[in-house]
Amino acid sequence: MSRHVISAVLLWVVLTAVGEATVFLDWFPTVGSHEAEDFDEIFLILVAMGTPVFAFVIAVIAYAVLNFRSKGPEETGATFLGVGTGPRVWVGITSALALLVMIYPGMTGLAALSKERTGNGWGEYDAELVVHATGYQWFWQFEYPESGVKVQGAGNELVLPVDTVIRFDVDAADVIHSFWIPAFRLKIDALPGRTTFMTVKPTELGSYNEDAAYRIQCAELCGLDHSGMLFPVKVVSQDEFKEWVNSQTAAAKGQ
Amino acid sequence: MLRLNSVFGGLGLGLMGFYLGMAVAALLRWAFGYPEVWERDLNVSVGYCFGLIGWLMGVGMWGRWGREWFGLKTYPSPTKGWARYFTFNTDHKVIGIQYGVTFLIVFLLAGSLAMLIRAELAVNELQFFSKAQYNSLMSMHGILMVAVAVASVIGALGNYVVPLMIGAEDMAFPRLNALTFWLVPPTAVMLLATPFVGGLETGWTAYPPLSVVTQTGQTFFNLAIITFGLTSILGALNFIVTIIYMRAPGLTWGRLPVFVWAMFVTSWLALLYTQGFAVALLMVTLDRVGGMSFFDAANGGDPLLYQHVFWFYSHPAVYIMVIPGFGIALEVIAHFSRKPFYAYRYAVGAFMGILGLSGIVWAHHMFTSGMPNYLHGPFLMMTEAISIPTGLIFLCALGTIWMGRLWLTTPMLFAIAVIFNFACGGVTGIFLADVPTDIHLHDTYFVVAHFHYTIVGGEIFGLFAGLYYWFPKMTGRMYNERLAKLHFWWMFIGFNITFFVMHWPGIQGMNRRIADYPEAYQPVNLAVSLSAFLLGASFLVFFYNMINSWIRGPIAEANPWHARTLEWQTSSPPPLENFSSPPRVTGNPYDYGLPKPPHATFPQVAPAPAGGGGGGGGGGG
Repeated sequence: MSRHVISAVLLWVVLTAVGEATVFLDWFPTVGSHEAEDFDEIFLILVAMGTPVFAFVIAVIAYAVLNFRSKGPEETGATFLGVGTGPRVWVGITSALALLVMIYPGMTGLAALSKERTGNGWGEYDAELVVHATGYQWFWQFEYPESGVKVQGAGNELVLPVDTVIRFDVDAADVIHSFWIPAFRLKIDALPGRTTFMTVKPTELGSYNEDAAYRIQCAELCGLDHSGMLFPVKVVSQDEFKEWVNSQTAAAKGQ
Repeated sequence: MLRLNSVFGGLGLGLMGFYLGMAVAALLRWAFGYPEVWERDLNVSVGYCFGLIGWLMGVGMWGRWGREWFGLKTYPSPTKGWARYFTFNTDHKVIGIQYGVTFLIVFLLAGSLAMLIRAELAVNELQFFSKAQYNSLMSMHGILMVAVAVASVIGALGNYVVPLMIGAEDMAFPRLNALTFWLVPPTAVMLLATPFVGGLETGWTAYPPLSVVTQTGQTFFNLAIITFGLTSILGALNFIVTIIYMRAPGLTWGRLPVFVWAMFVTSWLALLYTQGFAVALLMVTLDRVGGMSFFDAANGGDPLLYQHVFWFYSHPAVYIMVIPGFGIALEVIAHFSRKPFYAYRYAVGAFMGILGLSGIVWAHHMFTSGMPNYLHGPFLMMTEAISIPTGLIFLCALGTIWMGRLWLTTPMLFAIAVIFNFACGGVTGIFLADVPTDIHLHDTYFVVAHFHYTIVGGEIFGLFAGLYYWFPKMTGRMYNERLAKLHFWWMFIGFNITFFVMHWPGIQGMNRRIADYPEAYQPVNLAVSLSAFLLGASFLVFFYNMINSWIRGPIAEANPWHARTLEWQTSSPPPLENFSSPPRVTGNPYDYGLPKPPHATFPQVAPAPAGGGGGGGGGGG
């Protein structure tokens, strides 16, 4: 028996080592915000800690199938029943894993995201810039309340300043939509009748023209043109953003 | 009086009831002075209620059951020949096969829809379907497969095998059992009719307000699902009573085969939670046809209310799907490892733990829904805690195969694949249960890959393990082992490539339920589509093998697997009353290689003491 245990443990170690190498893969879309860095980190922690668990199951199955096979029903195997310490140790280990590998990273990450205990949204409520986003079947409408600038329609893009704490106040006019920017790794549903929010801090310049991750994508099935309900995002420098706001307000006055 | 005893009678009375109901609704609207007597959703809903009763009465519920209420003699049901499968038959073996064939056809249909979905998604932009058609396809694939997942193992294998495994002659309520099956065809008809009344565009989840404002197809969907919920609830009640009261003498709880335990726990889940789905859709229907405003924010309703009620059922539902899969996997692994079941009591404890926890984790489907932030933490922790009972399933499976003498027949291969696939589905579940990672991954293809790994990998592989395992018992013939192994490897490889790769576009930012996607996700989608076609083709081997073997396969022995459990101690297929003399259970079902008495003996002089099972929880594995 001990020979089998040692061989299976070796197989487990090898499989785990192979699996752990995947943390060096390029898993993610562009990192566009501070929140995206957190997501990527927690994701990789879970990959790193989940791999040995997955590898354990694979190793035992693979070893057993290769070594304990028989051609028919005549032979019988070992007769241990699994009572006593074996299962108890297993329960202890899996409980510890649930606590340390799953709950701990989740709760610490959640603490960073859910700053407003009674609110319904991600991050701090206080922000340097507020953007109001409203979902319609099947388009988005944006308003910057401080400057009164409105953005909507084909050919436009949602312009955001880099290194600025931006809060999106999100709601919907008709059915449920979801406000998601893959480059920022955050989404929050847009509901009729209540306002949700998410606060992000973009850290990199980027635009949808070069990178599909810079888009607002409706991520809650909202009817016929759900798949087409996306809107380009462009993150620009703070100076460029000021210029853009000025040009928009000037254009609005000129009309 | 006409003899209304088959599907023809059901169709006749059902259609008459349908038109009568629509006319009654129109008449009432006219009588109360509405300007329009025809309001499609309302009239159809009333028509459906009348039609459903007409269908049930016509198909045999009147002749076999209803006449008794009025002191009339009931008609007998045919006990031989293919015609019995088209009547209101109370034999659990007939009902099991009715369920099995029906849901394999639905599975084939819904799988074909998946092929169409992958054809559309292989290349970006629209090629074959309009966006409306795509949404309908996707919704139909979803709800039909959910129906298959809920009812195939429970309805087909549970019905056929559970009474045999516990040494009973039939289920506790045979007529109720027949009723649960004959509620299925109206469900199927309503779902399949949706494309003619505007299609579905809300997926299987049917979130309002969209499901309130969308076309009439949604009303058909709602009525179908409420009916289907009734099937689940009545079936669950029947299983619970059967397993508690119909066990053979000596079959204590500690000697119960693990598949029966799985069915017992699953039935409790179905009985406790199914009404959540039915109630949620009833509220949507009332919003649509009754002018109520449960989910209309402008009139004091709340769209989030639906999601809570819906997921209150639909999370336990994934365990209604997967616990029977675990049950089959553990059952098959125990018999084909040729050694005693490892940690039997912990397997039962695992099912109980899942039963307890599954009702308090539902809001992990709603982490991005805009519900208040203080709900996230508790639901995160409860959800991750489910990994502890689920881990015990792995303990039992791995402990049982370790140092066994594995007889790698097709059922055994599928059973081991359940454990393999579910390990992958379980690990990816961690990412979705942890809020910080779920915020990005929610509603992406990562989720699609994850739940296909758990439900297809965990349950449908289990279904195939069970179908191959009990095929000789159910049909009396043996399937072709070489074709079956070909099917296994083909399906296993196709499945794992398709859904393992599918995680990738999700992480990269491709959301689900979309007819079209940005060009950046093109190459990986082509790869997924090609391997999905590979996976789809594997089922042709399965269907060919099943049909061919059922017609001209070699005659099967009573116990081709040399298994100890009761269903193998009678002929294949079993006689009408299941056992020629009543069994008496004398030992544990999994004591391979131990000098222990057999699981059951058949005393020729039947003493038949009163009552079901023996005493309390003695025994153990």
